[in-house]
Amino acid sequence: MRPAAFATFFVVLALAAVHGQTSRTAPAVKAGTTGEKAGATGATKTPWGDPDLQGTWSNQTITPLERPAEFKDKPVLTEAEAAAYEKRLVEAGNVDNRTPGTVQDVNLAYNQVWWDRGNKIVADRRTSLVVDPPDGRIPPLTPAAQKRREEDRKASDNEKFAASWLDFDVYSRCIIRSALPRLSTGYNNNYEIVQSPGYVAIMQEQMHETRIIPLGNQPHLTSAVRQWLGDSRGRWEGNTLVVETTNFTDEARGSTFQYATKNMRLVERFTRTSDRTIDYEFTVSDPETWTRPWTVKMPWNRIDGLLYEYACHEGNVGLEHMLSGARAADAKTK
Amino acid sequence: MKLTHIAAIVVLALGMTASAARAHHSFSAEFDVNKPIKLQGTVKRVQWINPHTWIWIDVKKPDGTVEEWGIEAGTPNTLFRLGLTRDALPVGTEIVVSGYEARDGAKRANGRDMTFTDGRKLLMGSSVGNDAQSK
Repeated sequence: MRPAAFATFFVVLALAAVHGQTSRTAPAVKAGTTGEKAGATGATKTPWGDPDLQGTWSNQTITPLERPAEFKDKPVLTEAEAAAYEKRLVEAGNVDNRTPGTVQDVNLAYNQVWWDRGNKIVADRRTSLVVDPPDGRIPPLTPAAQKRREEDRKASDNEKFAASWLDFDVYSRCIIRSALPRLSTGYNNNYEIVQSPGYVAIMQEQMHETRIIPLGNQPHLTSAVRQWLGDSRGRWEGNTLVVETTNFTDEARGSTFQYATKNMRLVERFTRTSDRTIDYEFTVSDPETWTRPWTVKMPWNRIDGLLYEYACHEGNVGLEHMLSGARAADAKTK
Repeated sequence: MKLTHIAAIVVLALGMTASAARAHHSFSAEFDVNKPIKLQGTVKRVQWINPHTWIWIDVKKPDGTVEEWGIEAGTPNTLFRLGLTRDALPVGTEIVVSGYEARDGAKRANGRDMTFTDGRKLLMGSSVGNDAQSK
């Protein structure tokens, strides 16, 4: 959706909210244009009094999700260590990494012109985005989840023999980038938050999805209703937006988070800490997948620009080409 | 340092980042690892489309005939943020492409390395960072 269309959508959304809550009449506004100015905590308010999270943000970071073995007993780096580590990661990710004649060379041998991972570790110099468990590692997978992981890896390896578009994951099929919650990935790590009375919406640049989060105490959809991005409900706890999401689906490969089941429960917490920063934290729990819940903390940093359209279906000829490649391989074996 | 050593470091480093980075779809399912190819041709048109840009070039064969080849490149949003616009590669520009040929035998390749004929790198430059967080 183009920015203009997105804005139009929110006029409609705001009107719908006004219809339902006649005492609230303010339209959606951009952060910083109206409302209470930032205080010491960086918290601003919308004209109708909600904490203001609006703007365009990026969650890109090169801090690893899990703590590397080299930092086993070091959850936070010193400034000097952080600078050296950051430099090492940036350099490692920005070389023409050629190993001619390998699958890796076809798939991943690109440098920073292709990727958009960023070049910063998190400002508090943690060595992992995972903050709980305290060792900075994702808890062990249950045996059932280990099996799902193996099946996913096999299915991914078999894409070159695909019989149908159904054999590809949600990303290749331009359905969603990946299940919630979103981590920092290769590129297009950008988000726009727009608020209206009773709603928060988050547009995800990749790939063209908008999460619409009703606020208050509305119940979740019935468990029979499953959605690519689940079903989110939000509430304010002080200046923090707390969003609980359930009702995920496992209808296509890659539509659940990290080998979880569709019954995973996600709780996200968004706290504006400065004009340019939102502290973002999530906890995922799914006894069918992990031996305990785990929590990630990572910043969303303001970007000085627009979200761009990632109209994935616009030219997703890769899917067609992969299938025709598989048919060509079939023909050779006949 | 040997290339294999550099590759090992990169895989290690990237494996540790928040999510295993990958392109939108599997290039190795689209292009044939056993068919490396080098092409030299002139830019005919550029498709600035999602999820990947495509650069179409005319390649003159030794017998004088011309073949059109499609080159798959990066995602347009990322390239645009790096300052590469649709005007960065005018029609008629001569480029050299090193990549892998399509598995189905069509005249397409992935744009693994792209350079101008004087050796300057095109899209795959080596030191362009992103400073979104440092602004």
